[in-house]
Amino acid sequence: MTGEISLGGVYFPTLLLLAIGATVLTLIVTRLLTHIGFYRFVAYRPLVDLALFFLMLGLASLLTSHFGLLS
Amino acid sequence: MKPLYASLGRAAATILIVVLAIVVALWLWRRYEVDPWTRDGRIRADIVRVTPDVAGLVTQVAVRDNQAVKPGDVLFVVDRPRFELTLAQSDAAIASARATLLQARRESQRDLALGDLVAAETHEQNVARVATAAAALAQARSTRATAALNLARTTVRATVHGTVTNLDLHPGDYIAAGTQAMALVDTDSLRVEGYFEETKLGGIHVGDPVVVHLMGEDQALHGRVDSIAAGINDSERTNTSNLLPNVNPTFNWVRLAQRIPVRVKLLRVPKGVQLIVGRTATVTVKPQVAS
Repeated sequence: MTGEISLGGVYFPTLLLLAIGATVLTLIVTRLLTHIGFYRFVAYRPLVDLALFFLMLGLASLLTSHFGLLS
Repeated sequence: MKPLYASLGRAAATILIVVLAIVVALWLWRRYEVDPWTRDGRIRADIVRVTPDVAGLVTQVAVRDNQAVKPGDVLFVVDRPRFELTLAQSDAAIASARATLLQARRESQRDLALGDLVAAETHEQNVARVATAAAALAQARSTRATAALNLARTTVRATVHGTVTNLDLHPGDYIAAGTQAMALVDTDSLRVEGYFEETKLGGIHVGDPVVVHLMGEDQALHGRVDSIAAGINDSERTNTSNLLPNVNPTFNWVRLAQRIPVRVKLLRVPKGVQLIVGRTATVTVKPQVAS
């Protein structure tokens, strides 16, 4: 969580990479939810998508620190 | 009625998800912005500035670059022959002063034996000559002691357990007294200093456990908060030649928290981790276990 990731000698804060990962994950999840028709049950889709991004980011941060990855 | 229920349910589901997301976002904020951790840390150590007390040609350098030394190990030798000659010279000066003293004493005693035949003034002069010669001998002895001290100081020794680094001293170099000759990294004083934003100091206490990650090392180092710096420089203010403060008249609308050095004593360092002064460290202070 608090470490850094080296890409060719340039060090990035982990949170940046987690955010990029969470964005990709959110895109996939929204596709999936569209496919199963989940959006019929919510009122305002963009807000839900934004909320999903934060949920994904929190999940990614929790998992990486819990399993000691990228730390 | 059915559309109303449906739209209420949709609104409730949306609000639920958003509230959940806000909770997660707050948790993330706390984790990255409030918890006391910093990527701005460095390994540091005391550096002994090895300096000769006497000037002269460097005749011998007894260490290699990056060599580990113990207290008392010879580092280099400055022009020993010259100081040996000075010592010999002061030995000769002692011999001369002693001869003068003995002669003065003999003369003074001869005066006593001759009794009234010698003028009182002459006798006083001879007694004074004895005292002067004794003082001259004491002076010569002290000069010799100084010469012996200088000779001992020609051999420069390590004062701490450490590593010689960035060595640029060669036999034949001339070195002035008081000029720094080499840097010695005191390995007993190796520590990590984390530069924490002043906003995070509330969560840092002396004795708190600390986890340190060095850049490029997989294994974590463990330590404890040793102390927090007592002061940093005030960059808004400079002193002028008339000793009045010169306060910077601009003040930033957007400003940054200043960083305060927090000293971390390393307790557990995994094998194979090289503690090199200046390496970048990520320092995380763990909340202290409730006592």
